[in-house]
Amino acid sequence: MTLYRNLTIRQKQIVWAWAFLAIPVLFYGVIRFYPTGTAVVISFQNWNLLGDRTWAGLENYRELWNDPVFWKVFRNTFAYLLIGTPVSLLLSFVIAYHLDKLRFMHGFLRMLYFLPFMTSAVAMAWVWRWFYQGVPIGLFNNLLASVGIAQIEFLNSTTNALPAVLAPAVWAGLGFQVIIFMAGLRAIPTSYYEAAKIDGVGWWTVLTQITLPLLKPTIVFIVVLSSIGFLRIFDHVFNMTTNNPGGPLNATKPLVLMIYDTAFNGFNMGYAAAQTVVLFTILLIVSLIQLYLLRSD
Amino acid sequence: MADLTLKALSKSYGETKVLHGIDLDVADGEFIVFVGPSGCGKSTTLRMIAGLEEVSGGEISIDGRVVNHLEPKDRDIAMVFQNYAIYPHMSVKKNIAFGLRSSNMSKPDKEARIAEVAGILDMTDLLERKPSQLSGGQRQRVAIGRAMVRDPAVFLFDEPLSNLDAQLRTQMRLEIKKLHQRVGNTIIFVTHDQVEAMTMADRIVIMKDGHIQQIGTPDEVYHRPDTTFVGQFIGAPSMNMLAAELTDGVLKIEGGTEIKLAHEATGKVLLGVRPDDLRAGAEPVLIEGQVMLREPLGPDTLIYLETPAGEVIARASGRHPPQLGDVVSLGADEDCLHLFDATSGVRLP
Repeated sequence: MTLYRNLTIRQKQIVWAWAFLAIPVLFYGVIRFYPTGTAVVISFQNWNLLGDRTWAGLENYRELWNDPVFWKVFRNTFAYLLIGTPVSLLLSFVIAYHLDKLRFMHGFLRMLYFLPFMTSAVAMAWVWRWFYQGVPIGLFNNLLASVGIAQIEFLNSTTNALPAVLAPAVWAGLGFQVIIFMAGLRAIPTSYYEAAKIDGVGWWTVLTQITLPLLKPTIVFIVVLSSIGFLRIFDHVFNMTTNNPGGPLNATKPLVLMIYDTAFNGFNMGYAAAQTVVLFTILLIVSLIQLYLLRSD
Repeated sequence: MADLTLKALSKSYGETKVLHGIDLDVADGEFIVFVGPSGCGKSTTLRMIAGLEEVSGGEISIDGRVVNHLEPKDRDIAMVFQNYAIYPHMSVKKNIAFGLRSSNMSKPDKEARIAEVAGILDMTDLLERKPSQLSGGQRQRVAIGRAMVRDPAVFLFDEPLSNLDAQLRTQMRLEIKKLHQRVGNTIIFVTHDQVEAMTMADRIVIMKDGHIQQIGTPDEVYHRPDTTFVGQFIGAPSMNMLAAELTDGVLKIEGGTEIKLAHEATGKVLLGVRPDDLRAGAEPVLIEGQVMLREPLGPDTLIYLETPAGEVIARASGRHPPQLGDVVSLGADEDCLHLFDATSGVRLP
């Protein structure tokens, strides 16, 4: 006790700070960092979950480099990212921009956009699967048939499947992004717009010179968040292609699904861990680039 | 440069009427200050002149041209906002240039105009800075610069000094006044601060509850307030109001003395006397009271007295003020007495 009493106020504050930090630090250490470290270690080993771990050196990474499926999956993952992020960003901005100006049924519309975000991805994926079925079951093909357009194989075609899986994923995240965008739009003082009105500039100038630059922090936030989301896409793909996860012919398979497959169907933990490390590295690089862009102002 | 006329201008939001038909003629180059407590309709009036609020009734004309239905940009006005509305992501120069975006000026002309305005406002070496690197007063000047650059017929200022600290406010007050003398444009300036109104205006428009109470020069509104509201709103501390009755040229002050007054009106009145005019030992004596509180201000001391008619404030000398508890007889020159109708609060002629 005397030891504590002899500390300066500053030192006492530090002691208390660490006392309160201890639990989260411990939690993060055990639940986050320890498994992450282990995953990195395992990526240099061979292990089938039951047997002994044996060192494999860079063998797992070499295998990955030479695996055509990995490159296919790698391209898919970036397709999800590079189509999903801009499309969802654009859609959510356009919706938020107009919803912000709308007074009539504002709350109700906002709720409609937010609803999918609260819905379980599994339920949603299954509903969309039904939408995508052929005549006479699927909603979209029935609509097409009623106006005399040929059927579209949404989930069974190697070219259509990825966008078809991506669409509900974009839709599901839209509500959240709209809310964030609206908060960002509301934070811009109205006097900025009034000043522009008095200066007589057009709406396009107002949008590009005032609204968008002032929304930059919001945009970066949404881009980072949705990029991470699309790079880690799994549940939508898995549930919409359950008969043949990631199919047809790996056309929709993202990296996380490949990791899952390698680990829990192939029981090749070392190889799965190597894929995890690659995914981790990609996420890290993408996030760092985006953070750099945020700070550059 | 131009004159500005408001004719029976009114504004309502749904059922609520916030402006009850106001009339005002502003001459070319005049500095007009709208002053009043919050909610009196002064900012609404300004925003209607700017074209940021719809006109519910009446007419606004600038330079003889009715502008009710014109877009703000076509009204030949510029506005300085309370929060300055300068864009944080643009340099000072870009902010000022923003005011010229819609003009047909050639690029070199624009550059020259920006340089000229920067010169007038003493900001030439700040042009490349971002607003975050500027002090409050400098930001204020950028906002004024953006308004000036278009050389509008009428400048509108919406409480532009209320975000500044006291010292800077005094300084900017002077700068705006000097600027007005230099460029000579018509200015409409909205404030809730009567000191700003008194010091800057050519004429003051005092508003309350959507009505104009009085329009006049600072001298007129101070020395001849039209209503009790104006008397108490202009000047600090505010005018003492004593209930009194006037009969046959004799004014009987409730709780005070009786004095002879050459006045024809009869009946219940309110007697207004400014603390500055109320002095110990002055003739005629109006009321007697005990000093309860003193506020020394240096050159003089404000004394708060308890009288049979309630609290009365007077200004006493700073060197030899009465002591707490002293009983003082207060009087004032006859010229300094203001009589108002007791019910309507309107000045008796």
